[in-house]
Amino acid sequence: MGYIAVKGGTDAIHNARELVEFYRLKKAVKPIEIEQIRSQLRLSIDKVMGEGGIYATEYAALAIKQMEGDVFEAAFVLRAFRATLQRKFYSETINTREMFVKRKISASFREIPGGQILGPTRDYIQRMLDTAKAIETKEDVETFLAGFAAHIDPAKLADIAHFDKVIDLLKKEGLLQPVGNDEDTTLKDITREAIKFPAPRSARLQMLARAETGGLMALGYSSMRGFGSVHPTVGELRYGAVPVRVKDRLGRVRYIGSIEVTEAEMISEYKAKSKKAIPYYSIGYGLCFGQNDTKAICMGILDRAMRSPEGNSPSNDQEFVLYHTEGIESMGFTNHLKLPHYVTFQSGLNNVRAAIERNAAAVPPSTINPSVIIPSLQPV
Amino acid sequence: MTDKDYILCECELSPLEQFIASLEKDFEIKMAGGPAVCLTMIKAEDSVEGQPFYLGEALTTECEVLVNGIPGLGLCMGDEPVRSYCIAFLDALEQLDGPHTGRVDAFLQDQARLISEARTLEYNHILRTRVDFKLMEQE
Repeated sequence: MGYIAVKGGTDAIHNARELVEFYRLKKAVKPIEIEQIRSQLRLSIDKVMGEGGIYATEYAALAIKQMEGDVFEAAFVLRAFRATLQRKFYSETINTREMFVKRKISASFREIPGGQILGPTRDYIQRMLDTAKAIETKEDVETFLAGFAAHIDPAKLADIAHFDKVIDLLKKEGLLQPVGNDEDTTLKDITREAIKFPAPRSARLQMLARAETGGLMALGYSSMRGFGSVHPTVGELRYGAVPVRVKDRLGRVRYIGSIEVTEAEMISEYKAKSKKAIPYYSIGYGLCFGQNDTKAICMGILDRAMRSPEGNSPSNDQEFVLYHTEGIESMGFTNHLKLPHYVTFQSGLNNVRAAIERNAAAVPPSTINPSVIIPSLQPV
Repeated sequence: MTDKDYILCECELSPLEQFIASLEKDFEIKMAGGPAVCLTMIKAEDSVEGQPFYLGEALTTECEVLVNGIPGLGLCMGDEPVRSYCIAFLDALEQLDGPHTGRVDAFLQDQARLISEARTLEYNHILRTRVDFKLMEQE
């Protein structure tokens, strides 16, 4: 069979691009401002930055606007933007103990250093549609902010504190131990070096940090439901801002700003194979850009699951987890199915037609049921 | 006093820009590079085993200026050309003696106070969400 190269569609593509812009704008309402997206779609921005692999709130907001709120596409745009920029600095290791804590909870201990601070969360409210939001005005916003500010007496302000971690309590008692399996601990960068399996833990954590939240949740959930062995407890979940410092070209360590991160320390009981082995707890670690509890928790579950010696469930399989939670590659591959596959499909079609013809020729005419021959597949 | 870079990265842009504009006329300034955006790879580590890994990159702006021939480097996160220039300018200025020194220190102290006040206020709002556990028999 020969291939025939065809071309065309340039005008249609151009017009489709213009049409999608028309659909975005056709109601001729006031364009959404980037600053509105930055301040009011905070959690979408956090997802897009995390999956795009770049912390840039202003560009994440722009990507969300451009892609009409599709966070997959927005993350794709952001990751492509990232590829156009030169990496000039590596930060000093960020220290989550320096975090300006905005949320800090534990499901393992009631009393934790500094107490349980719920922070900005909708965890404990009913998911009822708030119809008042439909008619929210600037005056409503100002009234809320004034009322909110009035809750604090400026004369009685507590000083900012940093808190010890819950895991410190377990560490002090010797209850928390490293997982203990011999694995590669070298620091790899999956943006510079293609991942190979088994992957070092650094590569796994990096891939999980920029994985898609829904994908991580699906596999983390599968592990908890029994298709895996990890059903941990939240040792501590923290969200807040951590300082970022780099060395400038003169060797000086410089503060350049802060990033918001969510950190999850997920505690699992270590299941030793030997009955005589002393039991202990080990940790699964989750850390991601922005406020994203689900992502950090599931990252922690999967970090721990992939270190399990049992490789017989999806969540324990490194390649399965890391390739299928990579949102941009998954979306790209899925969407490539929409591109022309004319030659491939025609080839398959020819084979099916030939098989039907061969079958028809081999069977005596009196036994052929005409209804099984699909008219559209008959040779033209 | 709080780290100068911290203050300059965290303060409001408008007063910083105005302050630098009030100083510029007394110096010969040449742009030596940028402002331009680039990336910083953020290094993190797991909190129990200390396993280092890369979390992702952060958009960063860098700028290099010469103030009376003295180089200054400005770095900050985000797409912030004006702020990075201001940081670079003050970085160079730090190495030059003169009557401006007192003004710069006063500006930094003032901004440090404003940042601290805003953060303390936010922190106290956050503290309102701290759980006050009571035993079931307590009211």
